[in-house]
Amino acid sequence: MDSTTKTTKSPPGSEPGETERLKEELRREHEMYLRALADFDNYRRRVERERASAARSGKRELILSLLEVLDSFDRALEHAGDSSSSISEGLQAIYRKLQRVVEAQGLTPFDSLGETFDPELHEAIGSVPTGEYESGTVVDEVQRGYRWGDEVLRPARVRVAE
Amino acid sequence: MAKAIGIDLGTTNSVVAVMEGGKPTVIVNSEGSRLTPSVVAFTKAGERLVGQLAKRQAVLNPENTIYSAKRFIGRRYSEVQSEIHNVPYKVVAGPNDAVRFEIMGKQYAPEEISAQVLRKLADDAAKYLGEKVTDAVITVPAYFNDAQRQATKDAGKIAGLNVLRIINEPTAASLAYGLDKKKHETIMVFDLGGGTFDVSILDVGDGVFEVRSTSGDGHLGGDDFDKVLVDWMAEEFLRDQGIDLRKDRQALQRLTEAGEKAKIELSSAIETTISLPFITADAAGPKHLEMRLTRAKFEQLTANLVDRCVAPVKQALSDAKITERDIEEVVLVGGSTRIPAVQALVRRLTGGKEPNQSVNPDEVVAIGAAIQAGVLAGEVKDVVLLDVTPLSLGVETLGGVMTKLIERNTTIPVRKSEVFSTAEDNQAAVDIHVLQGERELARDNRTLGHFRLEGIRPAPRGTPQVEVTFDIDANGILTVAAKDQGSGKEQKITITGSTQLSKEEIDRMVTDAQAHSEEDRKRREEVEARNAADSIAYQVERQISDLGDRVPLNEKARAEQLIAEIRELVKGNSSDVARLRQLTSDLQQVAYGLSSSAYSQAAGAQGAGTSSAQPGGGDDVIDAEFKEN
Repeated sequence: MDSTTKTTKSPPGSEPGETERLKEELRREHEMYLRALADFDNYRRRVERERASAARSGKRELILSLLEVLDSFDRALEHAGDSSSSISEGLQAIYRKLQRVVEAQGLTPFDSLGETFDPELHEAIGSVPTGEYESGTVVDEVQRGYRWGDEVLRPARVRVAE
Repeated sequence: MAKAIGIDLGTTNSVVAVMEGGKPTVIVNSEGSRLTPSVVAFTKAGERLVGQLAKRQAVLNPENTIYSAKRFIGRRYSEVQSEIHNVPYKVVAGPNDAVRFEIMGKQYAPEEISAQVLRKLADDAAKYLGEKVTDAVITVPAYFNDAQRQATKDAGKIAGLNVLRIINEPTAASLAYGLDKKKHETIMVFDLGGGTFDVSILDVGDGVFEVRSTSGDGHLGGDDFDKVLVDWMAEEFLRDQGIDLRKDRQALQRLTEAGEKAKIELSSAIETTISLPFITADAAGPKHLEMRLTRAKFEQLTANLVDRCVAPVKQALSDAKITERDIEEVVLVGGSTRIPAVQALVRRLTGGKEPNQSVNPDEVVAIGAAIQAGVLAGEVKDVVLLDVTPLSLGVETLGGVMTKLIERNTTIPVRKSEVFSTAEDNQAAVDIHVLQGERELARDNRTLGHFRLEGIRPAPRGTPQVEVTFDIDANGILTVAAKDQGSGKEQKITITGSTQLSKEEIDRMVTDAQAHSEEDRKRREEVEARNAADSIAYQVERQISDLGDRVPLNEKARAEQLIAEIRELVKGNSSDVARLRQLTSDLQQVAYGLSSSAYSQAAGAQGAGTSSAQPGGGDDVIDAEFKEN
C-alpha cells in the first residue's frame, strides 16, 4: 500500500465513522456560530433602533404626567373662561408657559372637533344624539390629543355624533 | 431558520415573545405596547380593527366589538348562557349548538375572532424580527377541555400559523422559571389576571408536567379591585358633595383611571394621593376630588376580593390530595399578584413559602411559551448556555480594601484589566492577592490565590505601571496576570474553582455583603481617607525637599506639622474620617501656597512638577496602590 492511498483513508487507529462524526460536529458548530452571529447582528441593529426610542421612553413618562397637569389647566380655564380677573390672566400665562415647555419637547396638540372619528387618533368615551352633525363626527373633546413627532402620544378623548 | 414565537392568548390581553440569542424577549406591538388587548371590532365602514384601536372605539360600536372571545371558544351555546348576559354583543347558536357571534348580520365563530388577535401578534412579531413568522406555541388555561384546545389550535390555523403545540398556562409559567430542569417537584401556580383567577397544582419531573388539579373563579381579577376603589371614591364624594360621579361618563372614566393608578402605587408605597381637580361642577362652581388612600385602607376595602382566592386554593389542594406542606414551588402569574395583600395570602396558604415572582407576572406565560417554542423549533438545545460569574473578582489594594475588576453576574468569557502602581518609593515587588466576594475589605472575602511580581525598577511610589488582567474563559477558568510595563516582567496564576461554588455558598456571601454593606462602606471610607491623606503628605514632603531653600520657613513648619499629624493618624489606623479629610484639605491648601510662592520666588524654575504628576490624575491609572509586604 503506497502513501497516496493511505492518506485518503481514515488515519490509523481511528474508527471508520470518526471523520463523519467530526464533519457532523463541525457542521453543527458552524450552524451554531452562524446563528449566534445572526442573532447578534439583529440584536445590534435593533439596539441602535431602540436607543433613540429608549431616550424617548424615558421622557415619555414625564411628558404624559405633564399632560395630566395641562388637562387640569384646560378644565380650570374652562371654568374661569368668563371671569377676566387678574388671577385668571395669571393662570392663562402659567398654562401657556407649560404648553411651551411640552412643545419644546416636540409635542403638538391636534384638533379633533368636527373631524371624523378615527381610532388612530381618538378614544371614544360616548356618543351624543344630534341632528346637527353627520354620524361619526367628533362633537366634544373632553381631553386633548397630542402627537410626539410622528407618533400619537395620547389619543384625544372624545364624544361622537350618533 | 425561521423563528417560532410563543403566544399567551389571554381573555383580556395577549402577549407574544420569542427566543433571541437563547433568551426569551417580549415583543413590543406596532402601537409600542407589550400588551395587546384581545379585542376585535368590525366598523360600520367595513374595517376590521384589532387590539388597542378596537378598544378605543368600543363604546361607539358595542354590538360589533368582540372582547373575551376566550370565554366562548370551543364551547357549546347551551354552556355559555351566563356569559352571554355579561357581553353587549350578540351571541347565537350555530350548527351543532356551536357558539357564534352575530355581527352585522354575519356569523363568526370565536376561533375566527381569536385568529384575528393571533394574526396581529404574529404580524407584529414579524415586523420586530424582520422575518416571516409561521410557527407558534399558544397557551390555554389548564382546565380547557379537548374541544377548547382544538378550537384554539384552529384559531392559529385560521391565522395562518403552524401551531407547534398548545400548552397549559401554568406549565408555561413554570418553564419561564426553569422549574422543568429541577428534580421531581410539586408546584402551585397562582394566576390572578385582569378578569380571571386560576390556581393549578402541577407535578413536574424529567421535563414532564402533569396537571394534578385546577380551580379558580372565572370572574375575579384586577378589574374588580379597580371597581371597589371607584365605588369608594364615588361614595365619599357623594357624601361630601352630594354628586354621584358614576352618572357622568367622563368623570367615571377619570375615576377608573385614578383608581387603577392608586392600586398600582399602593403595591410599592404605603400611601397615595388621588387628585382629580375639576372633576365636576354644580351651580356653586367647580368641584375637585382630593383623597388620601393608605395601603391599610385599600386592604380593608378589598379584603373580600382577596378572601375569594382562599376557597379555590384549598379546593385545588384537596383535589390534588395534598396539603400546603407538599408544595415545593409557588409561581405567581397575572398583574394582580403584585398586590401585597395577595402575596401575603399566597404565602399564608402555602405554609410561608416564598413565591417565584422575579419574571414580570404579566409576561411570564408568554415567556414560557417562547421557551417551549424555542425547544420545539430546535433552537434552545443548540444554544450555548452562557454562564455568569456568581461573585465579584478583584485584588487587594492599599489599606486592605478589595478593588473589583469583574463584577458579579458578568457573562463569561470575559477579560478585564486595570493599571495599578506601587505604594512605596523604590518598591521592587508587588503582591497580587486575588479575591472573590462582595465585601469591601479584603479580609472579609475569599482568597483565590497569591503571587508576587518582582523586578520592578526603582522609582518613586505611584510611578510604576503594573497592568493586572483578569481573564475567565468559557469553562470558568480564571487566569490573573500582572505585568510591569517598565521592565516588561510578567507573572500569572490560573485558578479553576472560581465558579464552582454551591448555590448556598454564593447566596450566603451575597447576603453577608448586604448585611454588612453599611459598616463595610464606612470602613472603606476610612481606608480611602487614610490613603488620600497619606498620599498628599508624601507629595508635599517631596515638594519641600525639591524646593529646598525656596520654601518660606513658616509655611514649611506648617506643612511639617500637618504631615506629622497625618502620619500619626495613618500609623494608628485612625477611623476619624472627618479629621483625616480636614487635614488632607489643609495640607492641599499649603501645597498650593508652596508652589505659588516657589514660582513667584523663582519664575521659570520647574519646582512644582512632581506634585502635578501624581497618580489619580491619569485616565487609566486608578487611585489605588499595592501594599508592600
